[in-house]
Amino acid sequence: MNGTSKEHIIKSYDSELARLTGEIVRMGELSVSQLEAALDVVERRDERAARRVVDNDDAIDQLEQEISHDVVRLLALRAPMAGDLRNVFAALRIAADIERIGDYAANVAKRSIPLSMVAPVAPTKGLDHLAELAADEVREVLKAYHEQDAERAYQVWKDDAELDEAYTGYFRQLLTYMMEDPRNITPCTHLLFMAKNIERIGDHATNIAESVWYQVHGQPLNKQRPNRDLTSSPELGNLGDKP
Amino acid sequence: MTERAVAALNPQPADTSVAIAPTKLKVRDLYFYYNGFQALNGISMDIPEKKVTAIIGPSGCGKSTLLRIFNRIYAIYPKQEAKGEIVLDGENILDPGYSMNRLRGKIGMVFQKPVPFPMPIFENVAYGIRHHEKLSRPDMAIRVEQALRSAALWDEVKDKLKQNALGLSGGQQQRLCIARAIALKPEVLLLDEPTSALDPIATSRIEQLVAELTSEYTIVMVTHNMQQAARCSDLTAFMYLGELIEFDETEKIFTSPSKKQTEDYITGRFG
Repeated sequence: MNGTSKEHIIKSYDSELARLTGEIVRMGELSVSQLEAALDVVERRDERAARRVVDNDDAIDQLEQEISHDVVRLLALRAPMAGDLRNVFAALRIAADIERIGDYAANVAKRSIPLSMVAPVAPTKGLDHLAELAADEVREVLKAYHEQDAERAYQVWKDDAELDEAYTGYFRQLLTYMMEDPRNITPCTHLLFMAKNIERIGDHATNIAESVWYQVHGQPLNKQRPNRDLTSSPELGNLGDKP
Repeated sequence: MTERAVAALNPQPADTSVAIAPTKLKVRDLYFYYNGFQALNGISMDIPEKKVTAIIGPSGCGKSTLLRIFNRIYAIYPKQEAKGEIVLDGENILDPGYSMNRLRGKIGMVFQKPVPFPMPIFENVAYGIRHHEKLSRPDMAIRVEQALRSAALWDEVKDKLKQNALGLSGGQQQRLCIARAIALKPEVLLLDEPTSALDPIATSRIEQLVAELTSEYTIVMVTHNMQQAARCSDLTAFMYLGELIEFDETEKIFTSPSKKQTEDYITGRFG
């Protein structure tokens, strides 16, 4: 059953729970700006800006530590039950997912440095589309978390298939470029890793969606999610042969 | 009208049965009146055998009343009346034909405040046994020792069995009361807030004891301490204003209860 809108008899408990939600939302917004900044430095081929993005990841790590501290404090001092317990548990899990999203965004920025040292390649543009999809997923799932909207979270969970599909397409495109000209191998390998990082961000968004679902319903989200990331399937070995 | 609105207008009674073990006490349509005031409103629940069932709810919800009906303590007060059925091993214990002596032999009770008799420790335990059985002196000694051991008190009192029980600490007195109740080899043990007058260490001892006693007894415990219900019980019943609102596995009640009133109460949003 969903938590209740009534306030606790002990008022400070409400403010502590609200603070936790606020921290998660702030952490999530930071991770989205990091992803956007990472894509920006890829496009601008700006090494100094890339290093700034990598350094900024510390702020997200710092917030995760604060959230862990607040969760432990709440568990010890308030002994939360039922909806409150699920709220606190979800916050801890979601914070860990956002922390990973931040890491992936920083990784994209880090790889942009060696990428900027070789001649520009055409498929770099394709990364934007993946990043937009991933950023939308994260923004949307954070809204779902903030509003305790399980249906909205479920939609994000389903929509991740689109990102998987886009990733598979991009993978195929990169393979083609690499086969066409071996000089593309270095930049395209970097792009491939960056794309994989972005695809993983989508997976963490679906984890967050599952946490929101559990928080609202008290049940795990037991549904089969279509996985459209086919890059690890055997058929893909032949993909490069196709035009 | 939405499905939710229809459900709110037609509240369904709480599930009476959570099948985790055979039923020991079957409560059906139980009503209770003090001087015409209705304190329980049609309670039905199945209390499973050799499990701990906790009853929680705000003051005045009827949880202690329910416990007191299980061994018919109310019968000693005038103008108190129970209607309905409580079936123990196929017999309705509310039936006037069910002898009080037999009932007390089957269902023991321990109260909130330890109430040892002002007599030696040994006699506190032996007193009730004598009321039910004639035992030789050595047999009685064995029986008292067994009860004190089961109540995890033997090692602390074995050298001072002749001392007055009032000299024991609060926690020891409460374990003595549990020993006194289990000395009669009851099948059901009722605990009415057994640790509310005890310190945390004595409370932990009693909780550990409750866990050990479930191998032999069906335990029903009323508690105001929700953490205690969560720690000790297999099933939890939430009562409010004389009604059973929700009855389910303890884990379910404390992680995701199905009724809003339960959620509000256990998360501290009541009132």
